[in-house]
Amino acid sequence: MEMPQYDPNTKPEFELYTIPSHSSWFRWDDIHETERTALKEFFDGSSISRTPKIYKEYRDFMINKYREEPSRRLTFTQVRKSLVGDVSLLHKVFRLLDEWGLINFGAVSRGDDSDNRDSSLGDTELKNQVKIEEGAPNGVRVVALPNSLKPISVPNSGADGSGNGKVVVAGETGVKLPPLTSYLDVFGDLVKLKGFKCGSCGEQCNSGCYEYSKGSFVICEKCFKNGNYGEDKSKDDFRFSDLGGNSLTHGATWTEAETLLLLESVMRHGDNWELVAQNVPTKSKLDCISKLIELPFGEFMMGSAHEMNSSSCPTGSLNSLKEGQSASSENQNDVKMEDQVHDQMNESEQNGDAATEEPPAKRKRIAPLSDGGSSLIKQVAHISTMVGPHVTAAAAEAAVAALCNESSYPREIFDGDEDYLANGLLSPTMVSDPERALQVDASKMEENQSETQDASSEKNDVPLNLRIRTATATALGAAAANAKLLADQEDREIEHLVAIIIETQMKKLHSKINYFDDLELIMEKEYNEMMQLKECLVEERIDVLERALKTGVSKWRS
Amino acid sequence: KFRMPTEDNLVPIRLDIETEGQRYKDAFTWNPSDPDSEVVVFAKRTVRDLKLPPQFITQIAQSIQTQLTEFRSYEGQDMYTAEKIVPIKLDLRVNHTLIKDHFLWDLNNYESDPEEFARTFCNDMGIEDPEVGPAVAFAIREQLYEIAIQSVASAREIKISKKGRRGAEHAISSKGGGNALDLMKLFRYNSSVVRKRKEWYVYEPIVDILSNEEVDALEAREDRNTR
Repeated sequence: MEMPQYDPNTKPEFELYTIPSHSSWFRWDDIHETERTALKEFFDGSSISRTPKIYKEYRDFMINKYREEPSRRLTFTQVRKSLVGDVSLLHKVFRLLDEWGLINFGAVSRGDDSDNRDSSLGDTELKNQVKIEEGAPNGVRVVALPNSLKPISVPNSGADGSGNGKVVVAGETGVKLPPLTSYLDVFGDLVKLKGFKCGSCGEQCNSGCYEYSKGSFVICEKCFKNGNYGEDKSKDDFRFSDLGGNSLTHGATWTEAETLLLLESVMRHGDNWELVAQNVPTKSKLDCISKLIELPFGEFMMGSAHEMNSSSCPTGSLNSLKEGQSASSENQNDVKMEDQVHDQMNESEQNGDAATEEPPAKRKRIAPLSDGGSSLIKQVAHISTMVGPHVTAAAAEAAVAALCNESSYPREIFDGDEDYLANGLLSPTMVSDPERALQVDASKMEENQSETQDASSEKNDVPLNLRIRTATATALGAAAANAKLLADQEDREIEHLVAIIIETQMKKLHSKINYFDDLELIMEKEYNEMMQLKECLVEERIDVLERALKTGVSKWRS
Repeated sequence: KFRMPTEDNLVPIRLDIETEGQRYKDAFTWNPSDPDSEVVVFAKRTVRDLKLPPQFITQIAQSIQTQLTEFRSYEGQDMYTAEKIVPIKLDLRVNHTLIKDHFLWDLNNYESDPEEFARTFCNDMGIEDPEVGPAVAFAIREQLYEIAIQSVASAREIKISKKGRRGAEHAISSKGGGNALDLMKLFRYNSSVVRKRKEWYVYEPIVDILSNEEVDALEAREDRNTR
């Protein structure tokens, strides 16, 4: 009846069902070891409702049910209505068969349906999109009692600009969603960038639109001028609403000033999105939320903002400001760098909102800086590679001096928090170095000690600019500490290398000495040989002379 | 020992609070091992998110706390733990979706997961409203909770009456009301676990999408009933 994939042709008169070859252990009339181990409950005799026979019935029924129509995907709900037993257990059997391909092997996969039913994703996240539901979910109702005098004000979400004017409210007023509307359709548009679409000509109304006051019909300016009002509508019924800057910056483009505003508002108001949206004038509530989530540290802020413990606001503002200036920062000299530092502070002064900087917050903030993620540090690094080392050193000193000269707070806060730099990258000994660096440059801080004592107790009230400065001071301090660390490393490396060199030289000398020793030995031996040879020769000569004398050679002719 | 007979020991909490002309209804699951300080935090956040008047905070917190305490009062006690397959009936309306269903659940299966069941259910039935799943899981949990409470009560009675074990089993299956299915009858050797076709409709889920008017009518009727 069923054929494993590699054996398709044996019994052509039966129906052919394919199962994967890794399931070829399956037999109708037997229960395989795989099944026994996967579904132990049926085979341990623990209950009268779970026996092998019962398991076999479940299994056979499910497979047969699937094979009635192999192209359609069998769902669990379809089988469980026909089987007696605990649904969780049945589901287990179903899943086992599904995983082994004994059912639903040739069926259409379920992924072609709408995205938000993928079981591996949560209910509120669609791949990279975040659904933001406006107002309370409908299951949680805030309802006016029939006789109450108090009107219920229900937050109105933005209209779906596709011309149907679906408005979702939590409550009894307003138009309900038509049935079978997926939340993605309604709220997805709020997250994505979408301007208003003209009801009559179908184009996007970017600059302004005319809203029909008696309903929710929208037409663009062109149509209004041309008189295409749509059916049964007259000119007077339309109201002009300028989308102007709104639609252009609707959702997608956030300038740095807005981002800064957003961050500061979130710091102050935490989760209260109404106030945040008010403070950021050109963005709606949803835009704020989605932008915040998109920012890399956004979730930190959302989670802890209301405890006034958020970490990265100033860094974030630094980042956003820096990104704007990055294009213009090529080929800088030290003066320009100092200007940058000043510019930052000026800009943040202009924004002028209060942010929080508790010591634990600074601890968190240091981490991204030390990781080199901050573009400020990148800036510095970039600049320093372009100019000589002396220039960079001078620039750094000047910047630190400028900071410390302007305010006593950075130093005070520096002094107060010894442990904030200990984030694993820097050893505690390095902490003293930036402080020392600052102390060297800020010797006139002594007289401000008393002030700073008071100031430290009112940290929450310190205005933003000082905090920004503290932030930059901290950043520079971290950079200085890092630099010191690197310098020390370099020193050690140099020492190490020098030691190696010396050692090598010594070895060379040693081997030379050895060589000469050997040579000497050899020479001596040779010398000895030579001496011996000489003696031999002398002896031979004597011999020859003797013989010559013996044989009567009268005169020795030499 | 008493606990929810599911993999996660979560308590179903239902809220229905009326103050100052506003009525707040909600249903969710709570983890009883969370510290009680979380209750107030949750109440505050809910009130803020829904923009309710602040009187709700104490009421919400109190209601949750009461239900939690009630759950915890059962916790030390023994529960009858023999196998019991009970029918669970679903009959609920979530926004525009009406669900009626009937299936069996094994009380003794401590790894059962109502949320997983709800997920499969919504996937199979093609339900797009994301609030349906949790509502289904909640309904299941509520019923399991009630049955668990009943089994505590019956366990207590057994102890009091001091019957032998065999007698206890017998008493349980008769005392469980119509709830527990007679396992002997169902899973007998010569009977099949496959239902007769004519019975399939009983256990088949029915999912209805209602129109706005029907929803309004049903809501009005529900309100009248609860007052």
